[in-house]
Amino acid sequence: MTDHPDNPVQQIWQSQAVEVTKMSADLLRKRAGKFQRQIWWRNFREYVAALVGIVLFASFLGKTHDSLLRLAYLLFIAGMIWVVVQLLRKGSARSMPGAMGNSTCIEFLCAEMERQRDVVKNVWPWYLAPLVPGFVVYTVAYALAFRRPASWAALALLDVIIAVVFFGVWKMNMRAARCLQRKIDELGAVER
Amino acid sequence: MDYLDVSVIEAMPAAVPTQDDLYQDAANSYGAALDRLARAYEADPDTRRDLLQDIHVALWRSFAAFDGRCSVRTWMYRVAHNVAASHVLRQRRTREQALVGLEELENLPDANSGQAADRNHALDRLLQLVQRLKPLDRHVILAYLEGFDAASIGETTGLSAGNVATKIHRIKSMLARRFQQGGDTND
Repeated sequence: MTDHPDNPVQQIWQSQAVEVTKMSADLLRKRAGKFQRQIWWRNFREYVAALVGIVLFASFLGKTHDSLLRLAYLLFIAGMIWVVVQLLRKGSARSMPGAMGNSTCIEFLCAEMERQRDVVKNVWPWYLAPLVPGFVVYTVAYALAFRRPASWAALALLDVIIAVVFFGVWKMNMRAARCLQRKIDELGAVER
Repeated sequence: MDYLDVSVIEAMPAAVPTQDDLYQDAANSYGAALDRLARAYEADPDTRRDLLQDIHVALWRSFAAFDGRCSVRTWMYRVAHNVAASHVLRQRRTREQALVGLEELENLPDANSGQAADRNHALDRLLQLVQRLKPLDRHVILAYLEGFDAASIGETTGLSAGNVATKIHRIKSMLARRFQQGGDTND
């Protein structure tokens, strides 16, 4: 930084009143600990949400004697465990401060946006697809168990709603991935 | 009384600064610049305070991995800008504000161009201008405002020397046009 900026706009910028923040080592450790706790709580909430779902499906599993329905519940449980593992794996892959110091702005932005793009682009294999086998087997099991047109119509309606929601989630994520890709391409085209 | 031989002292290795020492030195030397940087990335005072603390914590944590391959100043600015850019990327998902590049900003009309009377007003306008920029261009304009030379800007942003020169030229002409007060803002 220059002591005497020659441009008046630089002077205006550099002479603005500031509150200089200095954090003690204790405060830094506390704040860093708070950040780690926030991550821990976020992971904990995801564990609990998955656990509630798993307990619910496990209770259904215990109550039914229909082997196809049992298979559907097992597939739901397996799918939910897969989603949670993927969420935690992807959530923990953020840049560490040490890496930030070794990365230029372009490298950091590219890496950060590529990470986000990969999460949203692959939403189908890691978030939506693991739940599909459970829904398919559940639909077949329910249709065979209740052979009435009214039940089939209700089931078809439920499946359509689920399919529309899945399609909507997938489309939104694809749009976000394209938007991120455009920004990555823009940065990639910058002369380095 | 035994005196320590000077040659022994000279042969002793210099104390390696700890993570805390490096952070304290950086905070002492660049604390004001970090505050200005946070202002450029966040307009809301409460959120800005959080961002500034996040920057300080990231800086402190980063010094555990500091290997001296670049200067402390370059390291500090990389960490600070990258934390702030990450904040912008997160905020944009919720706020949906449209950020623009330098080229687009040059062509946008300045609603307050005739009111650059006092310094505070000029500073407010400058902040509004900077806060509209995409992270990379914001990094360049901030480094310019802080008085970095082109080589240092290239080192922290990753841009080529030619690209930095072009961007600085654009920044200078845009600032001169927008903040001209009887022609005295041209350098």
